[in-house]
Parts: sequence; C-alpha cells; structure tokens
Amino acid sequence: MSTVETAAAPSTAAAPKRKYFAIDGWGALVVPLVIFLVVVFLVPLVAMLVKSFTDPEPGFGNYVAVFAEPLYMKVIMNTFYVALLVTLVTLLLAYPYAYLMTLVPPLWRNIMMVIMLIPFWTSVLVRSFALIVLLRDTGVINTMLTDIGAIDEPITMLRTFSGVVFGMVQVSLPFAVLPMYATMSGIDNRLGLAAQNLGARPSGAFWRIFVPLSVPGVAAGLLLTFIQALGYYITPALLGGPQNTMIGELIVQQVSAVLRYGFAAALATMLLVLTLVLLGVAGKFLNLEKALMRRS
Amino acid sequence: MNRKLVITVAGIATASLAVVGCAGGATDEASEKSLTMVDWGGETQRVAMEQLYQPWAEEFGVAMKEDSPTDYAKLDAMVQAGKVNWGTVEVEPNFTETACAAGTLTKLDDAVKRAAEEHGVDPVTMSDCGIPILQYSFTIGYNTEKFPDAHPTTWAEFFDTEKFPGKRGFWKYATGGIFEAALIADGVAPEDLYPLDLDRAFKKLDTIKSDIVWYDTGDQQTQLVASGEAPLVQAWNGRIFKAQASGQPVANEYGEALGTYEQIVIPKGYANADLAQEWMQWVLATPAAQAEYSKQTGYGPVTPAALELLSADEQKELPNSAENQAKMAAMIDYGYWAEHYSEVTEQMNVWMAG
Repeated sequence: MSTVETAAAPSTAAAPKRKYFAIDGWGALVVPLVIFLVVVFLVPLVAMLVKSFTDPEPGFGNYVAVFAEPLYMKVIMNTFYVALLVTLVTLLLAYPYAYLMTLVPPLWRNIMMVIMLIPFWTSVLVRSFALIVLLRDTGVINTMLTDIGAIDEPITMLRTFSGVVFGMVQVSLPFAVLPMYATMSGIDNRLGLAAQNLGARPSGAFWRIFVPLSVPGVAAGLLLTFIQALGYYITPALLGGPQNTMIGELIVQQVSAVLRYGFAAALATMLLVLTLVLLGVAGKFLNLEKALMRRS
Repeated sequence: MNRKLVITVAGIATASLAVVGCAGGATDEASEKSLTMVDWGGETQRVAMEQLYQPWAEEFGVAMKEDSPTDYAKLDAMVQAGKVNWGTVEVEPNFTETACAAGTLTKLDDAVKRAAEEHGVDPVTMSDCGIPILQYSFTIGYNTEKFPDAHPTTWAEFFDTEKFPGKRGFWKYATGGIFEAALIADGVAPEDLYPLDLDRAFKKLDTIKSDIVWYDTGDQQTQLVASGEAPLVQAWNGRIFKAQASGQPVANEYGEALGTYEQIVIPKGYANADLAQEWMQWVLATPAAQAEYSKQTGYGPVTPAALELLSADEQKELPNSAENQAKMAAMIDYGYWAEHYSEVTEQMNVWMAG
C-alpha cells in the first residue's frame, strides 16, 4: 500500500518541474512517516533476513531445509497461483462495479459504496465463519437447494479450491474497487463524447478512451489485491482443504507452534524474493511505475 | 505557513513517535503484588480465573490480571527481551519440556514439587518447570441424531466408514492424537504405541483420507459435529461436554479415549515468580477450587481429593473418573512429542497436501 502512496506523492508535488526530489518545507512532513517505516518495517525486515541465516546456527541450513522437502516450493507456487487467480477474478468483478458507480446517480453510488464497504468493516475471521455457514454441506445454500428439490446430494463447496477463491475474492473486492473508482471518477466523460463526436462508436470510445485512462486505478487495485492475497492464510485455512494450503499458514505454524524461527524466516524470505522477482518481470512488460503514476 | 513552522511540526511529530515507541517498556508488575494468568481464552479461561485464581487472590490480597491466548512465540520473545509480564501460563506439556530444557521457564521450587507429591498428582504429568492443571481426553465426539442407536466405541470403528458412514473430523495438529488413534485402530497395543510407527499410521490414515475434515479451533470442532457435516470427530471432551450442555445433539464416547493434560508454567524472569509458585501450592492443596472448575468445564481435576468432591453424575463427564479412566487406551507421551514434534509436523503437512 505504501508503495503506491509514496510513489504517487512526489509526482504530485513535482509534476510541473518534472523532478522527483524537489523537496520544499512541506517535504519535511514526510520525515515522521519515513522514520515510522524504518522502525516498524525496515528494521524487522532486516532482522528477519538475518535470522534466516543465523537461527539456529549460522549458514544456509534453513534454505537447504526449504529445498530438501518439495512441499514448501509446491505450497509457495500454489500461493502464487491462487493469488493470481484471485486477482484476475477480482478484476473481472471489480471493474464493471467501479464503472457502474461512476454512471449511477449519487444516491445509488452511495448505496453501492456502502454495500461494498460493510463487509470490509467486519473482521476477516467473522466473514470466513459466515461463509462456512453458507457453503458447507449442511449449510444454507445446500439445504435450500435440497428443500426445493433442485439437487439430491449436497454440492461440496467448502474445503475446495473454488471455496478458497470465492472467499478471497470477497475479501479483496474493496481493495480493487476503491482505487479503480477513484481513478474512473476523475475521468472527464466529455472525452468519450468527443470521441463519439469524431466518429467513434460508443464501444470504441469506451475501449480506446475510457479504459486506457482508467489504467492507473486498475494497476493500483491489482497490485493491492495480489500482494495482500499472497499473505492470506485465515481464509484459505477455513474455507479450503489441506491441498489449498498457502505459505502464510505454514509460516505461522513454524513461528507459533513449531518455534523454528529461522526456518520460518527463510520461508518468508523466499516468498518476498519471489514476489519481488515476479513484480520485476511484470514491471518489464507492464511498466507498472508509469501505469501507477500516470495522471488521468 | 512558513518553512520553520513546518519543520517544527515535523520535529514534534517525530519526537512523539519516538516517545510512543519507548512507552511500552515500563514494567509495572515488579513492585506491586499482582499475578497475570494466561490461558487459551474463551469460556475455559473465564472459569479458570473465577475458580482457580480469584479465591486465592482475595485471600492473599493479590491483584489478578489476565491475558490470552497462550502464544509460545510471544512467551519466547518476552523472555529473550527480558520484559516478562506473563506470570502463570497454561501450555501443552511438550512445550514445557522443550522450553524447560532451553531455559525459558522458571524451575519449580521444592515446595511446589512436595505439594504435588503430597496431594497425589500423577508424577507422569509433573515437570521440573510446570504443574498439571487439568486432565482431558481425546474422545470420539459423535452426533446423536446421525447415530441414535449405535455409534463407534473404538478407534477401529471410528475408522470404519462402511459401518458408520460420514466425514471424520481431526485436529490439524500433530500432537492432537490423530496418529495414536490411527495406530490403535490398526491393532497396535496401547503399551507399544511409542515410539510411533508413523509409516503404519499414515497407511491407516490413507484408508479414510477422502473422508477427513480438519479443524483448527474448538469452535470449528463443535460446529462440524453438531451440524452433522462431520458426524464423528476426534474431540476434546470438554468442548463436546459444553456443546451437549447447551442442547446440541452431540456426545462424548470415552471408549479408547486418549488421555492428555495441560500444564501451568512460569516464564523465566517473571518478577512475581515467587507469588506464582505460592499460587501453585495453593491450587494443588485446594480440592474445592479444582472440583468447581471441573464441574463447569468438563476437564478433570489433577488431585484425587478434588475428584472425590464430585458426584457420580458429575464424574461421568470427566476423563479421569474411575469409570472413564478404565476405558482409556493410553496417555499421550509428551516426552516423545517434545523430541519429534517438528519433524512429524512436516511429514503431516506433506501427507495432507499429497
């Protein structure tokens, strides 16, 4: 999250001069945030990296152990797969929703906003338990379908891959809709009208004018969704089966039950490094920085 | 706004951040006569506080505090940082053994050990660093609506999905009794359980793998069995007891139950450790407190005198009544688990994901 905000801030301040570090007196206001991030983010991160090489004994032992058992890479890969899929599904649902919010009258816009935000204000744990009650074999949906005679046997939805994706998308939606809506509401709708005036069909105007202008919001939303989906473990643990284990769950297990801190640090480092590599590769093709900082 | 003012504001903000950062450090426990108890939270913690601590605290003028849930990593971190504000912590016995050897826990005074001996605490459940506080069992928890006539009474029957169809709930936790149950179901004599023959256990578990549903918490466990989604679970007897008492269609089967217990430990460096040790002696010597705790939680007391205070009906629901003790297959060997927990957890993860 902070990446997005800090990346956006200088461009606002420095836009006229096209210089990144034109700090005036106001710039000093950033100092507390920088100190805060160093203390609560950078220091623990470095401590974790160090720990992965020193606990219980100096060397690469923890990393050797990660690779010695295929399970861990398998779970890390599964984590990326789930996160990507969740991001994709979230995009497909969030984009039309955010777009619709820009079209409807203010009253409906507020209603749509509240509908989306109410679940957001509820704890993830509570929401996951609610989904269990809804999805399980003896749950609301299956009981209803059986009672009206639509199905004979309950459809297994809980502890399946689709159950995990369903639950995670539900949690992710606000993170995608909010930045998309913020960008879309800033797009001047006269641009689309102008395009049509110049002969574009409405669909052409949408795809060639509106969609490109909404890219910064989409990029921010996708990044937020993807990054936080990588760290999920409560939702997959509750809604998925053991085949859907995410790496977060194994890290927590190592930290709070097995107490192998160095090994947990190594797993977390692997996740971090692979995430950075993936974002680096994606950045090569998608030019993330430009997408995020583009002014609409 | 001029530049100077902005910098001043930034400076103040920075300074206040620094102050906030340091504020957590002061310990207020050392000087006053207080004790912080830590349990796993929820109903059991409330009863423990009310029955096992409050009467003592009132008698001796101690201010009680509480925290939850028990977190081994947090305990470790407190001891390492030298800022321990957890006094008496309820933990699993394999943690006691590992942490005691690692020097993270306060060793018990001889007076506490003598009190345990004097009041007839089972020596197996004692440690150099902890006293047992409750006995419980991994029982067969079953849904009484799905199995009104016959229900599994042995682990072999629990694993028999033809005779008793439906999903089986297990705790997603290596020390949760799943391997012991599998081996007994496969015909291993209870006295030959340890060291566990894991290959054999996994083979037995393979036979019902597609019927297994995992739970992480006690709430999930009762939800599974009460809703009938998994009409059979390897249960914690107290959870089923509570659910049954609140009118849900569930019951405990004590046949071949696996006995287990929890311990109270004192993290090393706790300022009021002496007070905590005094409480330990008091609780072992006060059967009435233990008996009331057992009555409300379904978890058994650790001294025989406390058991005697309970009626036959109340004892029926306790894992260590004479009747249920006779049905018990074995006690979980936490010495084994202290040594093998990490590697078996990894094997279990691999098996579950496969």
